[in-house]
Amino acid sequence: MQQPIYYSRTEYIETDTGNKVSRKAIIAGPQNIILGGKTIISNGAIIRGDLRRTGSGHTVVISLGRYCLIGEGCIMRPPYKTYRGNFNYYPMKIGDHVHIGAGTVVEAATIGNNVEIGKNCVIGKFCIIKDCAKIEDNTILPPNTVVPALAVFRGSPGRFVQELSESTPERAEAMTKQYYNRFVPMQDR
Amino acid sequence: MSAPSLKIYCPCLDPNSLPPPPNLPSSSHSYHEIHDLYFCEECDLIRCNRCVSVEVSGYYCPNCLFEVPSASVRGEKNRCARNCFLCPSCKNTLIVVPSDPPESADGRIMTINTLGDPPFFLYCSHCRWDSAEVGITFEKPTSLANQLQKHEDSAPDSLEFERLKEHFEPFIRASSASSSASHHLRTAQHVHSNPITAAASDALSRDVPGVSKYNPLSRSRVGRDKSNRDEMPEYRSRMDVSLTGSDTANVQHLLMIESPDEIATLEQRWINSWTSSVLVNDLKPLRIPLHSKKSKRCPTCRHILIKPEQKPQSVRFKIKIAATGYLPLMAISLPFLNNNLATTAKRSTRPGATWEEDRNSPSINPVMFGGRTYPFVLSFTNPMYDPIQIRINALRSPVSTTTVQTDETGPAQPEKRRPPFAITLPTYAFSVAAFAEAWEYDEDDDMIEDEHADLVDDRRHASASTNSGPARGGKAKTVGVLEKKANTTFIGGEVVIGKEAQGDVKFLTMVTFTYRNDTVDEVDLGDEDGDGSPVRTTNPSSSVLGGANKQPEIRTFSYYVVVDLGRIAQRNVEGSIDERR
Repeated sequence: MQQPIYYSRTEYIETDTGNKVSRKAIIAGPQNIILGGKTIISNGAIIRGDLRRTGSGHTVVISLGRYCLIGEGCIMRPPYKTYRGNFNYYPMKIGDHVHIGAGTVVEAATIGNNVEIGKNCVIGKFCIIKDCAKIEDNTILPPNTVVPALAVFRGSPGRFVQELSESTPERAEAMTKQYYNRFVPMQDR
Repeated sequence: MSAPSLKIYCPCLDPNSLPPPPNLPSSSHSYHEIHDLYFCEECDLIRCNRCVSVEVSGYYCPNCLFEVPSASVRGEKNRCARNCFLCPSCKNTLIVVPSDPPESADGRIMTINTLGDPPFFLYCSHCRWDSAEVGITFEKPTSLANQLQKHEDSAPDSLEFERLKEHFEPFIRASSASSSASHHLRTAQHVHSNPITAAASDALSRDVPGVSKYNPLSRSRVGRDKSNRDEMPEYRSRMDVSLTGSDTANVQHLLMIESPDEIATLEQRWINSWTSSVLVNDLKPLRIPLHSKKSKRCPTCRHILIKPEQKPQSVRFKIKIAATGYLPLMAISLPFLNNNLATTAKRSTRPGATWEEDRNSPSINPVMFGGRTYPFVLSFTNPMYDPIQIRINALRSPVSTTTVQTDETGPAQPEKRRPPFAITLPTYAFSVAAFAEAWEYDEDDDMIEDEHADLVDDRRHASASTNSGPARGGKAKTVGVLEKKANTTFIGGEVVIGKEAQGDVKFLTMVTFTYRNDTVDEVDLGDEDGDGSPVRTTNPSSSVLGGANKQPEIRTFSYYVVVDLGRIAQRNVEGSIDERR
């Protein structure tokens, strides 16, 4: 009964596995990006799959699970560091049912399942966000921050504010599935 | 607060009275989202986070995510004993960084050591505080807490605490024998105070051996037991506070400062348990306080409602009795908003908002105008494997017992202190199909259609009995069962808003549902008749239900829900309203 979220049919490409990727999103290095299926990549999102580890061969730079949402104007960039004198990018892994709000910059190393990230956040390099965590709008997570499971983080720098209820996993799953089902092409008139 | 919303009443504060008026700010603590509630099967009651008793089932560090055995929690003073530190200036987690490596002659950075070069120090990646500023450096980048142990142990607050413990040790030992003897007796009586004191006393009794669990009875008993107390020698602190608290040193420093940044803020000093220097340069990194996983119990029957898995970062639970598995999941939508949204969507497609956003965006935040009628749709989703019958009953205000229909005087009658709005909901019971696995939905559809046909009859009765609102005549059906889809039933309702009305459209609804209890076992039934019945009588709904509880395999449960439809717009915008009818 939730109202549908319309998009223009010409604006999005739908893949066989149900991913909906905006033509207005910038996807660099698509061969290094894995989408789990039923994932939405909105207008203006930038996903940098081209920032890969040095060395030859096929590598996965960014992997996204099922029922994810990359909001408008999000920037997804793999984290990098200089280790033993070598500059390198490191892969970014994102679980299922993850929603990332509009205008957020993500350089996390790992994001678990059922994570909700608000609008205009900055998720610093090598952050680890565990399952069912929630990052509120406008939060800045400095590099290497660890967000434990079922925690809510807020502020700049992002700090623990409260714990989420035990039924968050089911709730987030239902929410993301519902969002995907509501996200429908506009009827041609 | 986002609207429209639905919140469920937990009767834990006052089980004998009706829920408080929903529009009072003070009553917000009684209403909870269904996701935050638990359900005790034994007591057949809703439980909320305010009434469950909480026990700590495990500790972990929120940064390194290691589980800390409760035995070492006390020794480590509830903080992480690994490499986790908080920035004293911004409370961010600190990282260990090596000093800059020596540069070779050709300017290239040479790294000999894989870990970097000593001395190591702690660095905040947010505010750029580093521990070298306050003179803390490390020889090696591991077991930092151990390396800082000396500092910590010589701090005046920990010395004082040790001294206190030493002082009370003989007393504790003496009383522990007597307290453990009476302990069994007390748990049997179970003088329940409140969940927070219970949890705190649990923690204390574990951390400090010999301190018995708090309870009002034992306290008064100890009070009478004067002889024990008199043995206690007077405690003298390590140093006299009146001497150490002299401000001369601080004044000296304050005379020298050049910018206010050199003074630590109150927030930065707040966490110190001891009088500390006011200067930023004296702030020390703090070991990260541990977090805990908690298990929750029903406050009356002590049955476990939540029992987390041992692993710190697991989001699974060994036991999780949430209300979502027992109560129908309700959702509310306002169709007139959808129309607005569809038109705005045509102008610009704005997908990609998170669910939070579209709840908060101004186009969805409902605004209603006085003197108009708005339909709304309630959906009920059955989580159980058996079909349920639901009856909803809107209460205008919890004190008056009058039903909505009598309030529907219509906007034409000029009457003082008229309710700002009136709610019309179907008064007959409707069914919600059982939860089934997704692939069974298609087969069930025919069956549901049949049920639906039966209900048409009900509806005719209902419409005859309902004093229909002014907007109802001749219009397409807005009140009643609108649609049934799988295990969800959609119910239409209507709100008539008075001309002069303002404020929030919030009303209380009693939801009663009847279900067949297939798992009828003797123990359960005995419980129902035994200590189950007093609970039912305390439940305000039971008087309304009458004899619905007579048959053993049909069970009835009712609870209150606050429906918030949103805000009524200010009157000055009324000119732009086009009439609905």
